[in-house]
Amino acid sequence: MSHQRYPSHSDAVKEPHSVSLKVLRLSRPSLVTQYPVQPPSFLSAGGADIASRHPPPIPASLAYSPAVRTKLNSSDPEKERTTENTNPDAFILSPIVNLPPSFGSAYVGETFSCTLCVNHDVLLPGEGGPGPGQQKKTIRDVRIEAEMKTPATTTTTTTTTTGNTSTPSSGGGVTKLPLSPPSTTPGTEKGGGGVDLAPGETLQKIVNFDLKDEGNHVLAITVSYYEATDVSGRTRTFRKLYQFICKGSLIVRTKPGPLTTVGGRRRWVLEAQLENCSEDAMQLEKVVMDLEPGLVYSDCNWELRPKEGSGDGEMQKPVLHPGEVEQACFVIEEDGDGECGKGGDGVREQDGRIVFGVLGVGWRSEMGNRGFLSTGKLSTRFVKPRE
Amino acid sequence: MDQLPDSTSRGHTRTRSAVKATRPRSSTKGPLDADEIPLASPLSPQQAAPQGMFSVQHQQQQQQQQQQQQGGQSLRSPGPSSPHPRSAAQSPVPKRVLPPPPPKDFSYLLRPEIYHPLTPLNIPPSFRNSAKQPSPDTPIPDLLARGHFRAAAIAATQTLTAGGVDPTDYVRIFELLYTRLASLTLIDATALAAQEVKALEDLNSAFYVDETTGEHLVPWALRVLNVRLQAMGFGDPRRAVMSYYDLAREARAQLADATSRHDNSAKELWKDRLADIGIKVAGALVEMDDLTGAAHHLASLKDSEDGKMTMSKALLWLHLGDADAARRCVAHKSGEAAEKIVMALCDMADGEYEAALERWRELGEDLDDEMIGVNTAVCLLYVGRMQEGKDMLEGLVDTGRSSHTLLFNLTTMYELCTERARTLKVRLSEKVAALEETPDGWEKTNGDFKL
Repeated sequence: MSHQRYPSHSDAVKEPHSVSLKVLRLSRPSLVTQYPVQPPSFLSAGGADIASRHPPPIPASLAYSPAVRTKLNSSDPEKERTTENTNPDAFILSPIVNLPPSFGSAYVGETFSCTLCVNHDVLLPGEGGPGPGQQKKTIRDVRIEAEMKTPATTTTTTTTTTGNTSTPSSGGGVTKLPLSPPSTTPGTEKGGGGVDLAPGETLQKIVNFDLKDEGNHVLAITVSYYEATDVSGRTRTFRKLYQFICKGSLIVRTKPGPLTTVGGRRRWVLEAQLENCSEDAMQLEKVVMDLEPGLVYSDCNWELRPKEGSGDGEMQKPVLHPGEVEQACFVIEEDGDGECGKGGDGVREQDGRIVFGVLGVGWRSEMGNRGFLSTGKLSTRFVKPRE
Repeated sequence: MDQLPDSTSRGHTRTRSAVKATRPRSSTKGPLDADEIPLASPLSPQQAAPQGMFSVQHQQQQQQQQQQQQGGQSLRSPGPSSPHPRSAAQSPVPKRVLPPPPPKDFSYLLRPEIYHPLTPLNIPPSFRNSAKQPSPDTPIPDLLARGHFRAAAIAATQTLTAGGVDPTDYVRIFELLYTRLASLTLIDATALAAQEVKALEDLNSAFYVDETTGEHLVPWALRVLNVRLQAMGFGDPRRAVMSYYDLAREARAQLADATSRHDNSAKELWKDRLADIGIKVAGALVEMDDLTGAAHHLASLKDSEDGKMTMSKALLWLHLGDADAARRCVAHKSGEAAEKIVMALCDMADGEYEAALERWRELGEDLDDEMIGVNTAVCLLYVGRMQEGKDMLEGLVDTGRSSHTLLFNLTTMYELCTERARTLKVRLSEKVAALEETPDGWEKTNGDFKL
């Protein structure tokens, strides 16, 4: 199979590409689980007192070898004693991490990260190597372009605007993705951004994209390079598409209601239900309001809970398992002395409605993966202030 | 009532159910429920009760007996009414003068049909055809010492089922069974172990207690392993939490007993076992995805002197996604390796891979640790320097490391850096097969190399 990629004579256009593209979605790395078991008594036959001691788990049952050896170059005998076992070897979680094993699920509000690897594939010596009749190829000026196609119709225009980016997303479109790290690799740079790849070498880039819409996304990667042999050369291009579905992870329901006026200032209560509709547990990091001018709010949620001391008694942010709902509540009131409509800093009213602003929800899921989304403008019908 | 010991009795399911108390919440039919298994029942209520024993378990058995007489198979039906969770089977029974009871027959653990064949098909050829493969007559201790766990699992089963083991020699039977089950968990065959462990049925049953000394006949390690495996085998993870609490109750009682006897070594032993069970409960909760429950549980445990508890708590918070809470766990440990490790992991959780890389590099200067090497390499991939990361992981293999994690990450990088990763994977498997045999385990599976 691999031989087909390198036919002994160059066969015009149909010849397979000399470079390959491989991708891996870079979700957070995950802590590796381990299931410690005690060594069978056969193993500790020399120890005789097996029954009278609690032996450490058998190393093979741990996520990594607990043996810690200091660097040999240290001649300081004190150094020897600073070694410590870094593995909490009775616990199910260990500090060693695994790369993401699979694509997983993509959710609105998260940042999608993906690494792109363009490789100059060569036959390894074990695979027969380049045959004598095969021409040696040089790969020059490799360029990668990445685009994200987002769903054509945006059904959730009111709910998803990510707070931490500046690129506004218009419903349905193609976004060109910046590649990192920027092409400043020393030495190999040539001709405006292209990179030369020696045989077996890889050009690795990473793209990030804030997911804002539910539905089909397509990551389109275009790779172009100049392929030179001793006698000729040509520019070749190929394109690969990776499609995935982005799902909603959080359903936000809000309900505004009037409160009695205090000191001439109108007040409202805004209740919000946050439902985790993803498949993973999430911890709510912040639930905040971004209000229109002239309004202030007080938070009636966990942020209020006292932060006692700095130890383990810290406030616990709410954790939502799949399907669970957390209720949040805010009291919104007019700023200043409540003379609405006075000057330019009054409360904005539109078509008989008072516009509050937006509600922003930030969360973290496994291994700290972040998500953030904000609602559309929330408002309530204008109600005459009760005196 | 024909329930005296009778190894030829067939079909007396009532007897067996009564002796080997029911499994709670289990609707699966265990091998011992099959009708053709001869099983002696030296502890049948009729036999024990007239001898003046009125410990709790016997009363319970009598209750069971009555229930059975009334309701036939009713004891089989799962339900919380099972008398077992409160069983006092493990509590030391007061010493009494009795004629020695007849030896118990554990022949039901020697039946070949309990044990599954282990296929060598998931072993890469580089291992399967290696000269390091042990000969079939290698003694089990040698196999274990050289990390041949698949061979050890096979050898344990062969010894158990070959007919050379005295069915009443429970010490040897349990030692072999533990070797079998523990080895299975080490060769990625935990699912098989979870099926085979069902043969033990309920270890809380009075059958497993020596009625003269009141001691449990099954070694502690097997009882602990049994908890997780049976929970898996019966598909009921919550059961693990409950069973660990049963063990903890016994450990506490033994600890109190040792303290009153001023037996310091026993005290230390039971203290360690109790602490271990405490952490295992947290693990069971993590397996159930009850991460907040696990966090609360860990918070209720005392910090150990070696800092492992602090590390465990921090890792749990990280797993849950709360990097701030993880940082708080190690805030008072500044300067120690544990703090640096957690801080580096927190940087990764925050997506600050450059900062994390810096920390791992710094740690790697002081400690030669597989975890630090692997995590550095993973960070390198996240900052776009996979080539360096790959070289680093290959370097770790060269120094004799071969954890599943190391191989998984390295083969993932192979998959990224060429269209023909298979060749590289096969070559890696050859390299690992050539490594020295250590108790860390020598043989790997195809899955380890994503082959």
